[in-house]
Amino acid sequence: MADETVLTPDLGFIKSLKGAGAETMKKCYQCATCSVICPLSPDDNPFPRKEMIMAQWGLKDDLANNPDIWLCHNCNDCSKYCPRGAGPGDVLSALRKIAIQENAFPKGLGKILGEPKMIWLALLIPAIIFMIAMKIKTGYFFQIPEGEVVFSKFFPISLVDTIFVPIALLVTISFVVSIGRFWKSLNKNPYKLMASGTILSGLIATIKEIVSHSKFDKCDANKDRVWAHRLVLFGFVGLFITTNWAVFNLYGLNWESPYPLNDPDAVAIFGSEAAAGLYRGVFKLTGNASAAILLIGSIMMFANRVKDKGFSSVSSSFDWTLAIMVFAVCVTGILSEVLRLANAASLAYPMYFAHLIVVFYIIAYLPFSKLAHMVYRTTAITYAKMANRDVV
Amino acid sequence: MSENKIGVYICTDCGIGDALDVEKLQQVATGEMRAPVCKTHPFLCSDEGVNVIKEDLNNEGVNKIVVAACSQRVNQDAFDFDTLKYVTERVNLREHVVWTQPPNEETTQLIADDNLRMGITRAGKAEPAVPNIMDINRTIMVVGGGVTGLTSALECANAGQEVVLVEKSSELGGWSKKMYKGYPTAEPYSELTKPAIDKKIEAVKGNDKIKVHTNTEISQIEGQPGMFNVTLGNNGSSETITIGAVVVATGWKPYDPSKLEHLGYGKYKNVVTNVEMEEMASKGAISRPSDGKKAESVLFVQCAGQRDAEHLPYCSSVCCNVSLKQAKYVRELNPDAGAYIIYKDMRTPGLYENFYKAAQDDDGIFLTKGEILGMEEASDGSIEVNVNHQLLGKEMKIKADVVVLAAGMVTNLLPEGYEPNNLTEEYVGVMEQKETQDGVIEELMPTPTTLHLKYRQSPELPHLKYGFPDSHFICFPYETRRTGIYAAGAVRHPMDSNQSVNDATGAALKAIQCLEQTSQGKAVHPRTWDQTFPEFRLDSCTQCRRCTVECPFGVLDEDEKGTPKENPYRCRRCGTCMGACPQRIISFKDYTVDMISSMIKAIQVPDEGTFIVCLICENDAYPAIDMAALNRMNLNPHFRFISLRCLGGTNLVWVADALSKGIDGLLLVGCQYGDDYQCHYIKGSKMASERLGKVQETLDRLMLEAERVEQVQLAINEWDKLPQIMEDFYKKIDDIGANPYKGF
Repeated sequence: MADETVLTPDLGFIKSLKGAGAETMKKCYQCATCSVICPLSPDDNPFPRKEMIMAQWGLKDDLANNPDIWLCHNCNDCSKYCPRGAGPGDVLSALRKIAIQENAFPKGLGKILGEPKMIWLALLIPAIIFMIAMKIKTGYFFQIPEGEVVFSKFFPISLVDTIFVPIALLVTISFVVSIGRFWKSLNKNPYKLMASGTILSGLIATIKEIVSHSKFDKCDANKDRVWAHRLVLFGFVGLFITTNWAVFNLYGLNWESPYPLNDPDAVAIFGSEAAAGLYRGVFKLTGNASAAILLIGSIMMFANRVKDKGFSSVSSSFDWTLAIMVFAVCVTGILSEVLRLANAASLAYPMYFAHLIVVFYIIAYLPFSKLAHMVYRTTAITYAKMANRDVV
Repeated sequence: MSENKIGVYICTDCGIGDALDVEKLQQVATGEMRAPVCKTHPFLCSDEGVNVIKEDLNNEGVNKIVVAACSQRVNQDAFDFDTLKYVTERVNLREHVVWTQPPNEETTQLIADDNLRMGITRAGKAEPAVPNIMDINRTIMVVGGGVTGLTSALECANAGQEVVLVEKSSELGGWSKKMYKGYPTAEPYSELTKPAIDKKIEAVKGNDKIKVHTNTEISQIEGQPGMFNVTLGNNGSSETITIGAVVVATGWKPYDPSKLEHLGYGKYKNVVTNVEMEEMASKGAISRPSDGKKAESVLFVQCAGQRDAEHLPYCSSVCCNVSLKQAKYVRELNPDAGAYIIYKDMRTPGLYENFYKAAQDDDGIFLTKGEILGMEEASDGSIEVNVNHQLLGKEMKIKADVVVLAAGMVTNLLPEGYEPNNLTEEYVGVMEQKETQDGVIEELMPTPTTLHLKYRQSPELPHLKYGFPDSHFICFPYETRRTGIYAAGAVRHPMDSNQSVNDATGAALKAIQCLEQTSQGKAVHPRTWDQTFPEFRLDSCTQCRRCTVECPFGVLDEDEKGTPKENPYRCRRCGTCMGACPQRIISFKDYTVDMISSMIKAIQVPDEGTFIVCLICENDAYPAIDMAALNRMNLNPHFRFISLRCLGGTNLVWVADALSKGIDGLLLVGCQYGDDYQCHYIKGSKMASERLGKVQETLDRLMLEAERVEQVQLAINEWDKLPQIMEDFYKKIDDIGANPYKGF
């Protein structure tokens, strides 16, 4: 069936694609070397050849609803072998950026935050919110407390909750809307959505795959990226667990940071200070180890981006922004902890403030940043498994 | 011929002396063949060896030289004796005998003996050429004043020739003058160019060796190279001039767009051809013809009729570049506009690939392999084109303000109203019913367009397909089937102006070469050394007209009774007329029907065993055997090769000669014929096969199996197939059994 929409030239979209890192896309002459070389592309209707022509033609809707761009792990084998230097790997990563923007809810916000020059505004927003909140709660916009460094004296836990819980909720709503639309659009595809398994079984298989990085491991040209990604992922997972653990400690055990061992509630629960100490040790170890893993991973990511791989792989600002933010959240977090232990109040509190800003950036802008790939990719891989488009 | 004195010189080098009994060969030469002089030499092509021959020419009165050594295709510089004084015959003992047969076998010796017998016979029957040299006119007439004609005229003039340039319209420049822009022809292939035709026009106008006739058409050409009488017509007045050679550069015309209604032409105002697009761009903006709205979206349909059996069955080779160019200037003239190009295959030959790349890089040029499924006019006046986007495997609707049909090129030699895919064979014309004494017959009446040749066969250049002038495309581009008339540019096959410039230069060179050869009474090609001409014993002519019809080059005209009238300078010496003549009245000084008959008769056919004579074309089959020999392939020993100028010269009497002598089979090895023919004389191998078709009925009547005579097609690069071809034919003849006439 002919598409009911009538195609007209959309030069603006093509310009934005090129700006997003797909400068080379026009060079493709459809030989399909990329599709042949790609270890992750299915035999039937493989990517990235067709995505290249969609990009050249500026077929916005087809690209936004395309699940295949998410099956790509950007290992860049395709770019290495491309006879025309069309860089399919880079083009696909630009397409993913565009797809995130196009599918984001609310859409306008995605576009604004996608702009590299908007990063300062994006960072200013949480700073202002935090300062207003502090003013309301403590009477000061920015006041470094006296005595031993305890972050809740500077920025009470209740503020963290009142800000971050609604933000997380909004993020979830945004994702539900955009992924819902994305999932529905997949039904237009020639591959039947429910060809095999249920959503749950598909999702479980997908998570297994993500945890093992089995697809990513098939990359050849860009192998080092697999470990970097693995460490960053595990680091984040560890920190996510730690955060929820902290919530449990606070509301479940009524034991507040910095978790004094003589806290009667804690002693009552654990029976002795020693037992509480062991519990706290494991908890802290989890948090610190996760931070360390994330730090190593993010440093590796930087190194990989800087290192010349012998083929052209353009890292877009979209990509760099995320890499910097991950690194920043890690460094500010670790430094906050170190400075707190050193009791250097004048440095520790500002560092903590900076850390909160970066955390806000990462969480609040999740549906619009490159990090949204974790949701889209998970969805697309689940779909691929259910539509029998999975490469084993 | 008492003054004949044959000298036989046998070389024993290159393995000949080791593999053959040379004394036996000498006995054949001096004994049964009665050659008065026969010498052997261990290195005949050396100065010392050649001097042995020269001594005999000067002191012994030898005037017919039989060199029994290597292939006639090698050492031509060594055995180069004055063809006006001496006959030189090369007997191939090396490639055709010792390199393809086991040494010192009886069968090997028999082949060498027969080859020597045939060579001495041929030399005995041949005479030195008698040149026919006349004063010739060296002016070159260039027909057509477009980029090709202008270039040809300038090239000829720069080489010192007088030139007459004839142009039908009132101004020079042709299509190039009408182009808004040209596509790039040099690095970096990214910028469009302004056509530079004006400079060329000025150069032609300012050249005192070039006489330009505008508003002029040719009303008649008669004569032959070096002496064509051309009548020019100009607004009712006419003038006759003499010229030596002609370059036809009349170019192309677009395919009739009214036949493209299925692509919306004529139905929607906003569907235009690429030529109309060029005109529109020359006016400065691309806009909708229907309402003048500036075009935001232009869609190009490639192969608008090309590569379609219903329209133009061939690729016009330029339209992809033209559409890329037009897409580029759509974008230049309006940076917000987009250009879609829907192609069957994007064909940008050679370095034009770089232009394709440059165009592809443009943000607003969208390319895909695809198919136009239909189109309709939208309410806003634009055209919605239904496209099967084959690179995406999906159908889509594209909105276009202007749809450009990339229509193809048709040669201007095709008269108006003729469809390239539906033409009469060989000569473009119409079939007419004619009353004759044998009843109503269909006769082809060729249609004159450009040259108005007063030739017996047709007024225009014969075509092979689609109206393009026929030529041996690979070996002799620019050649047409009319000697002295050379085609260049898009009249010859679709090409762009850049290629046309090269073509024009090539054709100019060929025209000059023709004049030079003609002035020496030599054939133009491929027998460029040949000063013999066909000679006619007209007292025996029965006016059957076979020679005048079959000559591939229209050499022969006719008087009113049908007796051939010679135009020797048109001749290329293939001997097709000689083969055609049932009366055997046509011969050359060194090539006659009797000569080949005598050679066949000189062969000693063994009483036992299957024995085959093989007529081979000297242009392809002969070197193919040489190549098999260079690769030391073994050939069946029961064959004897006789080389012909072309299989077209095959006279049916040789079939009778061979079979009546008890030879069991006759194999003709010649070039491929048909659409992709390789015959150096265009039709020679085809004429041979047609003649064989007739002889086979005769063989049936003689109670001889028609299969005893067979023609095979062999290209020079198929030499490796030769041993198997010979084995298969041998097996076939062996299965048929012995010739019943054997021993009579």
